[in-house]
Amino acid sequence: MNFFRKILFSAAVLGLMSGGTAEAAGKIVMDGSTTVGPIAKSFAAYFTKTTGVQVTVSESGSGNGAKSLINKTCDIANMSREMKDKEIAAARAKGVNPVEHIVALDGMAVVVHHPGNRVNALSRAQIRGIYQGKYTNWSEVGGPNAKIVVIQRESNSGTQDSFKELVMGKETPITKNAETQASNGAVKNRVGSTPAAVGFIGLGFVDNAVKALKVDGVEPDEMTVKNGSYPITRPLFMYTNGPATGVVKQFIDLKNTPEGKRMISELGFVNR
Amino acid sequence: MNVGTRKILDRSFTAVGIGSIVVMGIALLIVIVPIVFNGMGSVFFTGTIEHRNMLYNEFGKGNSDVLARENAAAGAYRREIYSMLSKFEAELESMEPEKQQELRAQYGPVRTALQALFGPLPGDPEAVLTRYKYGQTRWDKAQEKLHEFLYEAKWDYSDPNAMAKEYFVSRAAGFEGTSLVKLFPYVEKNLDRLLRPEFTVYWGFLTDSSVDSHIFGGIWPEIQGTFFLAVGAMLFAFPLGVIAAVYFTEYAQDGFFTSMLRSANSTLAGVPSIVFGLFGLAFFINTLKVSESKSVLAGSLTLAIMILPTIIRAAEEAILSVPKTYKEASLSLGSTKWNTIMTVILPAALPGILTGGVISLGRAAGETAPIIFTAAVSVGSAIGLADVFSSPTPALSWNIYNLASEHEAAAEIRHVQYGMVLALVGIVLLLNLSAILLRARISKKLKG
Repeated sequence: MNFFRKILFSAAVLGLMSGGTAEAAGKIVMDGSTTVGPIAKSFAAYFTKTTGVQVTVSESGSGNGAKSLINKTCDIANMSREMKDKEIAAARAKGVNPVEHIVALDGMAVVVHHPGNRVNALSRAQIRGIYQGKYTNWSEVGGPNAKIVVIQRESNSGTQDSFKELVMGKETPITKNAETQASNGAVKNRVGSTPAAVGFIGLGFVDNAVKALKVDGVEPDEMTVKNGSYPITRPLFMYTNGPATGVVKQFIDLKNTPEGKRMISELGFVNR
Repeated sequence: MNVGTRKILDRSFTAVGIGSIVVMGIALLIVIVPIVFNGMGSVFFTGTIEHRNMLYNEFGKGNSDVLARENAAAGAYRREIYSMLSKFEAELESMEPEKQQELRAQYGPVRTALQALFGPLPGDPEAVLTRYKYGQTRWDKAQEKLHEFLYEAKWDYSDPNAMAKEYFVSRAAGFEGTSLVKLFPYVEKNLDRLLRPEFTVYWGFLTDSSVDSHIFGGIWPEIQGTFFLAVGAMLFAFPLGVIAAVYFTEYAQDGFFTSMLRSANSTLAGVPSIVFGLFGLAFFINTLKVSESKSVLAGSLTLAIMILPTIIRAAEEAILSVPKTYKEASLSLGSTKWNTIMTVILPAALPGILTGGVISLGRAAGETAPIIFTAAVSVGSAIGLADVFSSPTPALSWNIYNLASEHEAAAEIRHVQYGMVLALVGIVLLLNLSAILLRARISKKLKG
């Protein structure tokens, strides 16, 4: 009798756990960039609410997004940079045909510590100088007398690749003294707690904890990113295997709907 | 050594022993108290009317009549603000352009701060993101936002050799001479009438899904995911581990092969967990393709491999500690080896085996690295049992990390992060406790 009761009880518990979730009409698995993460997460919540399709989002970096797409373990790869030729070749070799969709534009904000740094603006040449190790003290670029703590992103990051392309140029490497952080949030935390630090993060991540600098005299905001006057601007991508179809297409097309556009701008990113 | 020195040595040893226990206790307190205190803050807190509105609209919780009455009461006070705003906006129109521009620049942040406190203002387009549909849901946060509303933070960079100092400038001063100047004392004085703070016990934090990536709502999908992953890992690892231990202790001949196996097992126990994570991705997902994408199944398998060595070692020790006489008695009664193992040795060793299992279960629930690439996602719904073979899941350990480092609004939702930490600690304690009770019952039964 006791035994039966136990079985009944565990069946009830299992029933409780499996119940309560709607039968999904389909599901979408997303992987990739932490920069595109906020957009992907908000789209996912909105999409699940309106269509009932389950959407999961992982934020493991653009490089991992590309790898997941190549290994066919995700439906959409979020990337904050274009797919590299090498990755496209690897995808083709596995029978995957990456198709890019631009979801939004993002200005890359160069951020410093609020109280620790009087610098309000840098030119791209100065930023390049800091990151290649030519300037090592803030006083060389108009700041206080403090050694610059240079913060970069990991090699897997699309933000890092875009920064290299847009600021450093192909030839100049980033100084070996640069410290590496693994996500936009982590860079923000580090800069927010280190008086002499400088880092770069997506515009959507900037808040009161850090100060975004003018670059080449232009403040990063929605308008300057959209009209291209802010110099470090890049598109954010979602990649699919072949042209998007079915629910995946519906999901990606969210970016063109009024709601999708509002979500993007509410998150601090810029509509294309 | 004479008796005196021995006594002194003995006492000083006792003192050191007690001292180290005290130090450990204090360290534990320093770690546990903030976790418990802040974690409780996600369930027990002073919630505002915005929280109750959010609960009603998103989860259908609460009494609509009471809420309507409350909203009407708060609305009466809020209308006052809105009329001040529209009056000021009309005033702006009639000003000369320069003055107007200057005031507009200051007016923007005021509106933003008001939106943060009370949600969308009249005339705002309807927000799509849930986080912008409501004002401050927590009273403590509301007070921070009130400060931001009243004062503008500025930085004093005048001393080139020191760090800049933050100082606050009253926003009201900037609107001197306009009608808006009355708004600031009004909001400050009536904040409790505008937001109607009330002590709230929100058990839904444990049982609700999250809304708008953890800005509102609860952590049920994470709790469930952690449970599935830990239990799934046990389902694979426990039987395998016990069988392996029986092989090592009862069947294996001492020799090169066995010692190789043993040292392989010990090595496996020392491998960093991220290596298991990458192995799980490469082997279970990319090679075996146990699932299309990350999944609970792949995560459980990876965790199972990670905890297997611990279980094997614990089970081995437990089996070896069963008195030899038990086995000899059983065999001498004509029982077969297999029968002896099943009916005499394993039951006697069960409490020890379970201890190993419990430790591993806690570890499986708390590990982050093995599930990053194999099972965990930052946003997803609670999954049903039928989905464990194909769907990834949010899990406490990974989401704590995600909220700490990657979430775009991490600073706004520290309480959720603390709540998750407390929930994880609680789950591990609960699992341990239940296994300890189970063990106690079994040992009692064995003693007859």
